Amino acid sequence: MIVDINFVGLIIASIMASAVPLILASCGELITERSGVLNLGVEGMMIIGAISGFALMTVTGSLIIAVFGAMLAGVLISTIFAFLTQTLITNHVATGLALTIFGIGISAMIGKNFVGIPGKEFPVLFEGLKDTIPLLSPILFGHSIVFYFAFALPFITSYFLKKTKIGLIVRAVGDSPESASNQGVNVRLVRYACILYGGAMSGLAGAYLSMIYTPQWIENMTGGRGWIALALVVFSTWNPIKILIGAMIFGGLTIIQFHMQAIGVRIPVQFLTALPYIVTIIVLVVISRDSRKIRLSTPSSLGKSFYKDN
Amino acid sequence: MNTNLKISNVTKIYPGCVANDDVSLEFNSGKIYALLGENGAGKSTLVKILSGVVIPDEGKIYLNKNILKLNSPSDAKKNDIGMVFQHFNLFETLSVFENLIIDSDEQRENLKEKIDTIMKKYNFSVDLDVPVLNLSAGQKQKVEIIRCLIRSPKVLIMDEPTSVLTEQETSELFLSLKKFSEEGILIIYITHKLKEVMQLCDEVAVMRRGKLVSVSQINNENIESLANKMVGQDLKTIKKKKENTSSEQLIKITNLNFTSEDPFETNLVDINFSLNRGECLGIAGISGNGQSELFQVLSGEIISNKNSIEFNKNFIGDLNPQERREYLMAFSPEDRLEQAAIPQMAIFENVALNNFKSSNFFNNGLINESKIKEHSKKIISEFNVNTDNIDLKSQFLSGGNLQKLIIGRELITSPDLLICFNPTWGLDVGAINYIHETLIKINEQNKSIILISTDTDELLKLSDKISVIHRGKLSKIMNSEDVTSEKLGVLMGGGN
Repeated sequence: MIVDINFVGLIIASIMASAVPLILASCGELITERSGVLNLGVEGMMIIGAISGFALMTVTGSLIIAVFGAMLAGVLISTIFAFLTQTLITNHVATGLALTIFGIGISAMIGKNFVGIPGKEFPVLFEGLKDTIPLLSPILFGHSIVFYFAFALPFITSYFLKKTKIGLIVRAVGDSPESASNQGVNVRLVRYACILYGGAMSGLAGAYLSMIYTPQWIENMTGGRGWIALALVVFSTWNPIKILIGAMIFGGLTIIQFHMQAIGVRIPVQFLTALPYIVTIIVLVVISRDSRKIRLSTPSSLGKSFYKDN
Repeated sequence: MNTNLKISNVTKIYPGCVANDDVSLEFNSGKIYALLGENGAGKSTLVKILSGVVIPDEGKIYLNKNILKLNSPSDAKKNDIGMVFQHFNLFETLSVFENLIIDSDEQRENLKEKIDTIMKKYNFSVDLDVPVLNLSAGQKQKVEIIRCLIRSPKVLIMDEPTSVLTEQETSELFLSLKKFSEEGILIIYITHKLKEVMQLCDEVAVMRRGKLVSVSQINNENIESLANKMVGQDLKTIKKKKENTSSEQLIKITNLNFTSEDPFETNLVDINFSLNRGECLGIAGISGNGQSELFQVLSGEIISNKNSIEFNKNFIGDLNPQERREYLMAFSPEDRLEQAAIPQMAIFENVALNNFKSSNFFNNGLINESKIKEHSKKIISEFNVNTDNIDLKSQFLSGGNLQKLIIGRELITSPDLLICFNPTWGLDVGAINYIHETLIKINEQNKSIILISTDTDELLKLSDKISVIHRGKLSKIMNSEDVTSEKLGVLMGGGN
């Protein structure tokens, strides 16, 4: 059997494309969690981003307004979460779950008028180079700007956390908000900023789904990707590079199992559908099992409310 | 340059308690000042006010005659007030250098140089690249001190700095503090340890229940006079009578090992000892050297090899705490509100947790409330717990009362062996005295104690035999008459 080498490249590119929303949302949530805040509202923020992006695109016709509008929508909904958990000191878990339920509900409501409307074509970069190098060309060229941003993000995130002062402060707040506060760090401000950033990235992930990946609005179109993104953060032990690996495995298995279903491999469909979830978690657990590293990268104050006594 | 720090009529009121009641004090550089008082006397509140963590309700603070506005910790830093907290304010998962750079505005290279100079000058040696959680308590404290010194402070406040240090580390710290003082840094030293005040300080201010009781030169004081000022009454000193104990062996530990999965716990290596009836075995050590693991192994929270623990001629190494209690062992863990009692549950409910088959607290799965309450009242009156409301949630008991309740709950069934871990940790002198008397009484009734404690004075006072735990290994068992606190200090630091 002769396999067209460019076909392999295309499959890899499609795997990468399916990993994009996971990487974006995970890297955003990673920053939030590194500051000690557990936001389970990723799915909700993502779907709000998806409907906002799609609606703004349809109404204004501008892709730029739509993309930034989706991020702003993510920021706005995460502000609710930040206000509740940081100012009113509510429980992170319950508030995050409420945020997801709220997001799914309100997106379905807004989205009623947008069902069945075709999306717009999103411009891609380097299209002229598409046929230059075999195998690599379809992987490297001809994607949207969001795609390139997503694959740079884990490295930027890693650099930010390890090498910059603000990154250090974020880690310090996640490690011990009490100590940080006693050192004069404004814990609440840092956490607000991290939550809002997480919201923006989830919003962008959602916009990618509804504007670029499958350009249309379908109710509940995030289909649990927000939860996968959350799981990736935890199972990668808060390491952005491992998030990239996990997202690729998940994306890859999802695509491959589709193809296997299509060519009629005699494995139960349920098992194939479950495969990406199982394998991703197993792989991440195996590559992250160094308990010393887990201890060093786990934000000790994750999910705990911070009260300042005066 | 001379530094003058003045606290003027400071008052801080918390709901239900006046933490600082109209306190006025004045400090001048070149001297080391002690701020002395029991737990809850208000000294921590006062220094938190000085470091900007707590804002006073009334009163003013002056530095060199200028009024200071201390609304946040960064205000204190800006005004050159440095503070080393009792519970370290470090980020455990960050490296030492990251901990130091986080609140500094300097470039990496400049800061590195500065840290090197400080470390050379004061003979500190700390590896800058390891995460803080790998450091010993003494090293962590040095990191805190370096963090203050980087800012060349005028005032350095030390809050109970020796509670986690060995004797050797303590004397090193004192040398450094004296050096700082000679260089013109004003030092305020907060403690409840009288010996240290006598050793280190020039002037002493005593606080009691939020009020300033006295300010005096150290030359005019001695340990007894300070103790009486601190407690507000004459203290009787208790002493253990050394009697001939029986030679009947009660517990024997043979080749007990524990290997933890968690790299931040300490492994126990070849623990061997035996204890006779009526004896108290003290186990000294710096916290984090395996005490908590040893306690858990002895109490059955961690189960070990059946034959490694022989108690009353039964092999019980594989039994859980409940089953061990049936063999008449009793336990008082270190953390009163997390391990020994459940804070949100009432006193009588906490008593019922210690459930014996014979106690009939439960009938056919139902709680026998009247029986439990009767039992609880008995504990409260016999062990001097200062409350008559057994429906009170245990979190509202003071540390001392809670410890009395826990010890009472354990002892009321008259066990053969009590294992306790830091029983007087954080208690005031009165409560400590009571607990010590109670422990001595147990020995007099020919019952045994294993006392794991980080308080060397307590161990020397109560133990018949002493051993030191260091990195999960026990030293040989010594008779307490042959041991001095200096010798224990050496062993605790890993020496011979």
